[in-house]
Amino acid sequence: MGFIQDVLTSFVAIMPVTLAQSLILAFVVLGIMIPFRMLNFPDLTSEGAFPLGGCVCGVLLAAGVSPLTCIVVAFAAGFAAGCCTAFIHLRFRIHTLLAGILMMTMLYSINLRIMGKSNLSVFGSPTVFDWVPLARPGFPASKIVVAGLLALVVFAALYMFFRTEKGTAVRAVGANPDMAEAQGINVWAATIGGVGLASAFSASSGALMVQSQGFADVNMGLGILINGLAALMIGEAVVGKQTVWRQLLAPFAGAIIYYQLVSFCLAAGMPPPDLKLATGLFVLAMLALPSLKRSRGPAPAREAIRE
Amino acid sequence: MLDIRSARKVFYKGQADEKVALDGLSLSLATGEFGIVIGSNGAGKSSMLNAISGALVLDSGKILINGADVTAMPVHKRATRLARVFQDPMRGTAASMTVAENMLLADLRSQKRTLRQGLNATRLASYRERLSILGLGLENRLDTRVDLLSGGQRQSLSLIMAVGGSPDLLLLDEHTAALDPRTAEIVMQATVRAVNALKLTTLMVTHNMQHAVDYGSRVIMLDAGRVLLEVTGEEKARVTVIDLIGHFSVKTDRMLLAS
Repeated sequence: MGFIQDVLTSFVAIMPVTLAQSLILAFVVLGIMIPFRMLNFPDLTSEGAFPLGGCVCGVLLAAGVSPLTCIVVAFAAGFAAGCCTAFIHLRFRIHTLLAGILMMTMLYSINLRIMGKSNLSVFGSPTVFDWVPLARPGFPASKIVVAGLLALVVFAALYMFFRTEKGTAVRAVGANPDMAEAQGINVWAATIGGVGLASAFSASSGALMVQSQGFADVNMGLGILINGLAALMIGEAVVGKQTVWRQLLAPFAGAIIYYQLVSFCLAAGMPPPDLKLATGLFVLAMLALPSLKRSRGPAPAREAIRE
Repeated sequence: MLDIRSARKVFYKGQADEKVALDGLSLSLATGEFGIVIGSNGAGKSSMLNAISGALVLDSGKILINGADVTAMPVHKRATRLARVFQDPMRGTAASMTVAENMLLADLRSQKRTLRQGLNATRLASYRERLSILGLGLENRLDTRVDLLSGGQRQSLSLIMAVGGSPDLLLLDEHTAALDPRTAEIVMQATVRAVNALKLTTLMVTHNMQHAVDYGSRVIMLDAGRVLLEVTGEEKARVTVIDLIGHFSVKTDRMLLAS
């Protein structure tokens, strides 16, 4: 009994901190969902775009630029990175995943170039979270309010966009590019713009993260993609993905649930180094679930031989 | 209206399996004309439609629609002038989107897409009315995802999407070939009604000789990337399935002798 109580106490104690963190990271999950689900363009750029946003923000903060401008510049830098990935795929017919890996690898060097060193402390610099004067130790109300408001605004804006004439056209590109083209939609423009926007969200998330944690690090993106994917899977399992509303809500709901789960596992005594293995196994299980269900039917030809 | 001037396209140029898809093909179609394209497999029918729609870039030659040279125009720009129904019902519609959303996409084919709300009451009402013409009950399923429809329903939807907005040129690429006979008949009747009512300039590829005899104002037979035969006017009115098949056999005999 004592153990369970201890676990619950420490879990509840860090709940608000985790919530603040998950609201910031929800933008990465959004940046994974948009190419993956809306454009049918599985993309890995976010693993490089997230630290890109962080590094850009770190350098600018250190130079005394206002925190909001930092986020706007990070957004623009992420947009450019995403556009490059989409362009590499479209122009050279390289697989989307490989294009993403290329971009993310190159971004690592670019991020180092931007910062000039592997990490940079910006502790004490003004942040966007300063504008809500409610902070007290252990309960980051200002972060929850600012990140939550941003999430709300982005969600509403995207929901409205995907219902407009242009937004419907972008979704058509993901659903059936041949058909979209035959209906007069510029597939290149929609793909480049869409993937760019997604990476822009990932980069903004990195910028917010730097302002939240007080330092930038070139390795801050390590594993962010698999975490985001796990969060997206949970979100889609909980709120679904049948309609635009649900599909857009899934990244936000998923991020909040996923990071609480992680924090619960840590509170329950799971060694932090095992976290990536656990996350990977979880994503694998979520992706494998449909095919496991299917193989219960008749004629499991190859599986039978393998066993 | 449509003018193809000595279009030439060679696949795998300079390689052992070089294939001449279009061999200086010339064809013109007057406004309001309904051309039926026939020919054996590999005659260049699909290559010709792809060249018209822009999916295939010509090695040489020109394509004019309504007097405008569209040879260098990408697919999505040509789409403002022409509409196409594919053989495969899956290709002409966006599966994961609803019937109404698909109609909206077709509706905006020749317009500039804005940041205004896509589906509104006026549009939904007009889609309901246009779909009711088919008599398939699609008008009551506007919010249904297209992948839940049958192949025939999807193809009927593709047709309504294509004829909406009266395109300058309608391309039908064996659009009833993948359907069961009854559904094929429904789609074909709907096609003829729409083409006649809207006086659409149409080019239909078919392997169904009865369709070639029954419909259209002109039969165009392709062979080896060229126009082998054109039947128009009086002659078209008298032509029979036997006559048309006769022209196929000439080629088949030649192929047999050659082999």
